[in-house]
Amino acid sequence: MSRIGVFVCHCGENISRTVDVEKVAAEAARIPGVAYATDYKYMCSDPGQGLLKKAVAEHKLDGIVVAACSPRMHEKTFRNAAKSAGLNPFLCEMANIREHCSWVHEDREEATEKASAIVEMMVARVKKDRKLVPITVPVTKRALVIGGGIAGIQAALDIADAGHRVVLVEREPSIGGHMAQLSETFPTLDCSQCIMTPKMVDVANHPNITLHTYSEIEAVEGYIGNFQITVRKKARSVIEEKCTGCGVCSAKCPQKKIPNTFDKNLGFRPAIYVPFPQAVPNTPVIDREHCTRFINGKCGVCQKVCGPGAIDYEQEDRLIVEPVGAIVVATGFELYSISEKPKGSPIKGYGEFGHGTIPDVIDGLTFERLASASGPTGGKIIRPSDGKEPKQVVFVQCVGSRAREKGISYCSKICCMYTAKHTMLYKHKVHDGQAYVFFMDARTPGKSYDEFWRRAIEEEEAVYIRGMVSRLYQKGDKVVVMGSDVHVGVQVEIEADLVVLATAVQPRAGADTLAQKLGISYDSYHFYSEAHAKLKPVECATAGIYLAGACQGPKDIPDTVSQASAAAAKVMTLFARDELEREPIVAKVNERNCVACLYCKKVCPYGAVEEKEIRDRQGNLIRVVAYVNPGVCGGCGTCQASCPSKSVELDGYTDEQIMAMIETL
Amino acid sequence: MTNSAQTIDPALYAAVTDAVRAEARKVLESGAVAAVVGWQAGRRAGTAMPTIVTDPAKAADLIFSPACVNNLALYLTKAKKEVRGKGKIAIVAKGCDLKALVGLMGENQLKREELHIIGVVCAGVQGAAADRSLPLSEATIAGKCRECTVHTPENTDVTVGTLTELPHFTPTESAELARLEAMTPAERWSFWKEHFSRCIRCYACRQVCPFCYCEQCLCDRNRPQAVETTPRPAGNMAWHIVRAMHLAGRCAGCAECERACPMDIPLNLLNRKMARELKELYGHEAGFKPKEKGPLAEYREDDDQSFIK
Repeated sequence: MSRIGVFVCHCGENISRTVDVEKVAAEAARIPGVAYATDYKYMCSDPGQGLLKKAVAEHKLDGIVVAACSPRMHEKTFRNAAKSAGLNPFLCEMANIREHCSWVHEDREEATEKASAIVEMMVARVKKDRKLVPITVPVTKRALVIGGGIAGIQAALDIADAGHRVVLVEREPSIGGHMAQLSETFPTLDCSQCIMTPKMVDVANHPNITLHTYSEIEAVEGYIGNFQITVRKKARSVIEEKCTGCGVCSAKCPQKKIPNTFDKNLGFRPAIYVPFPQAVPNTPVIDREHCTRFINGKCGVCQKVCGPGAIDYEQEDRLIVEPVGAIVVATGFELYSISEKPKGSPIKGYGEFGHGTIPDVIDGLTFERLASASGPTGGKIIRPSDGKEPKQVVFVQCVGSRAREKGISYCSKICCMYTAKHTMLYKHKVHDGQAYVFFMDARTPGKSYDEFWRRAIEEEEAVYIRGMVSRLYQKGDKVVVMGSDVHVGVQVEIEADLVVLATAVQPRAGADTLAQKLGISYDSYHFYSEAHAKLKPVECATAGIYLAGACQGPKDIPDTVSQASAAAAKVMTLFARDELEREPIVAKVNERNCVACLYCKKVCPYGAVEEKEIRDRQGNLIRVVAYVNPGVCGGCGTCQASCPSKSVELDGYTDEQIMAMIETL
Repeated sequence: MTNSAQTIDPALYAAVTDAVRAEARKVLESGAVAAVVGWQAGRRAGTAMPTIVTDPAKAADLIFSPACVNNLALYLTKAKKEVRGKGKIAIVAKGCDLKALVGLMGENQLKREELHIIGVVCAGVQGAAADRSLPLSEATIAGKCRECTVHTPENTDVTVGTLTELPHFTPTESAELARLEAMTPAERWSFWKEHFSRCIRCYACRQVCPFCYCEQCLCDRNRPQAVETTPRPAGNMAWHIVRAMHLAGRCAGCAECERACPMDIPLNLLNRKMARELKELYGHEAGFKPKEKGPLAEYREDDDQSFIK
């Protein structure tokens, strides 16, 4: 007969408010095999755990059921307590009477009855629990960082400085991300490139960092400590090892009228180009879509002028496999564009703002390029339509963000501050100009942030109008801004020379596809989900994968850098050990029963199932069966559900246990 | 237009028999295969039974006739230790049997390169209650053969026989299926309840099915017991639901289960219904190509979810 201890938690009042915990404990004491049952106000507290440990010794318990919250919350806590009391931790299970019972019911009597039923089921399960030993797997001390913006750069540098190898993969031809496009940064107005480029160079020169630019993640296999990453190095058409970065190819390229995406299409670039002068690596790439050579084969100038002979028109995409132990995802954001409805985006279009057809209506990032000393105008603020200096500029905040009716309910977080910065940059360059800002409310929490915003109004004379903009339209060479001023309660109409929209921060297009490759979860906007909003803000629910920067949610530079360093610290914690312990909740095949139909292999989402040949001592094949690699198995139980002969079972969730649980009902 | 007087010429089967014997002798003599799985004449006149021939001299025992009802694929799974250990095997296969072979290849039970498939052109086989002395006609032909689309098997190593023009037979399977689908859910439930209540749990349907190749059936397990083993209504229902679900997307319709059932439960009707569901929901038809994954082992975003209510 089992000797099981049942501990019913009040969870303060979270459980006891709706469930009669004393009664649940008393009922549990009557279940055959239960040697001890009690209730306590906070089982997870020190005295609560002490109670459990004491009971194990006093009542010689061989199994434990803690009726409390979700196992996701405290299973580890109680298993550790059981372990320190000398019990195998996997003989301790949780009966969730909080999320599954007290929180979702109102009727006290019925909830109490249900709680007792849940406890009885878990007692039945614990009776058939086996002692399990954690699985140890080796750790590859090499990290992958996806995304070479400030988040990826910071994470890569921190991990590399700690002495571990890092593979940094960037989709664009250069690292730098959005920060390389910014002019000056709030709240100190230091030049973005001046603080960014040294870090980029550090990445390029770091002996521990392998940089793959113009590359994408093709496939991800494996698990924490043992990932196999296939990186697609897109054909650059330039041999990186040979190129000296002299720039002659770009200078001589006859095709010069390609809109420069780095400058938000304000200027032009040749077909063979580096995105910006400080690019890392300083190796150009041929834009095959626009290159004459690739369109009709009738050029080849760059190859002729290239001294080192680095141009290779025949170059093909290469697939490189990188073994890594941890992954930092730092894929960043993009700004919502009012000109089109982004594919897959929940946002509806902005027809009332002209759908992007009015040339002097631009977004915040375009303004950054206008204001940037290294930008297409050399830092001179002019309007895109006729190159004139705008004397009245209207900034509109919350375009897309906080607009439930448009499809996005979140706040993009950075726009209040960067719009305040824009008004200052504008005032510094156009002294007789006037900036207006339409805003819902200013959100300036952060060190020196509110002071910065106040300065924009009080010293730089920006006029802040609390209200929304209902329409923008072209009238002559002006853009008419129709809005409301809710403080005064009047409709406002401003004839602006330039309108700057603070459009919503969104995850990168394709964020969902990458998440599917990585096996991490994302929200309805495709921002990546952290394991716990408060206590695990940089970890993914998938072990060994960490988040940094705006791919998780809108973030400014200080927050992004902090999170990147936090993610790096998590990677270093993982790399501090040579071996990793994994929960032994994995599937095992009953080899006497398995007929190797390999249905399990077809359904396994982790690719953990292999074919195994059983041979006798002479080497004759006796039979073929399925084999589950315990290092790869994620313990989801899909194989168990699909096996026609029930020859594969998940430890701790065997059919026998599940049936025993059902039978108590 | 149905013509009950019209019969299938027995000469078609005689020609196939000669060709099967010749092919079997050839592959056995050359040593290309170790054994040939086929049919031989049964003890009673007009009957046939499965046989395994290893001696080239015995190749002359092989026959093909309307009495060759058995799906021989069975002998490559259930009895695999005895048969498959011998080396490369030749198997005589009708179009419908071939579908089972293809399915078994997709489930890792057979390897194409280890088989020599002698496909036979088949005009039909006898129904369970047919008078063995009569040639095949509307009165004697099996239900599955009335709507057969695979008279000539494809992707075999060799196919023997020539198909002649066949009489038109009244489709019975699709008529039954239509009748079943026209029922209300309550009527359908009581229809099956009545049929399954007669089940004596002899498991002949399981033993004769090439796809029921598990060495220990889940329904025989007792720790934990998933299905009650005594022939009582609840256990019977559970068994037949498990059988139907496990065959969904796999059963190619050889109808051996229905033929073997001593209680005349219309098992193939249930199999056909499941097959139709799979075709309508996922465009899947069993037995044509060894697929990577079956529709029930694969999730696609565009899968029909309308059945989730």
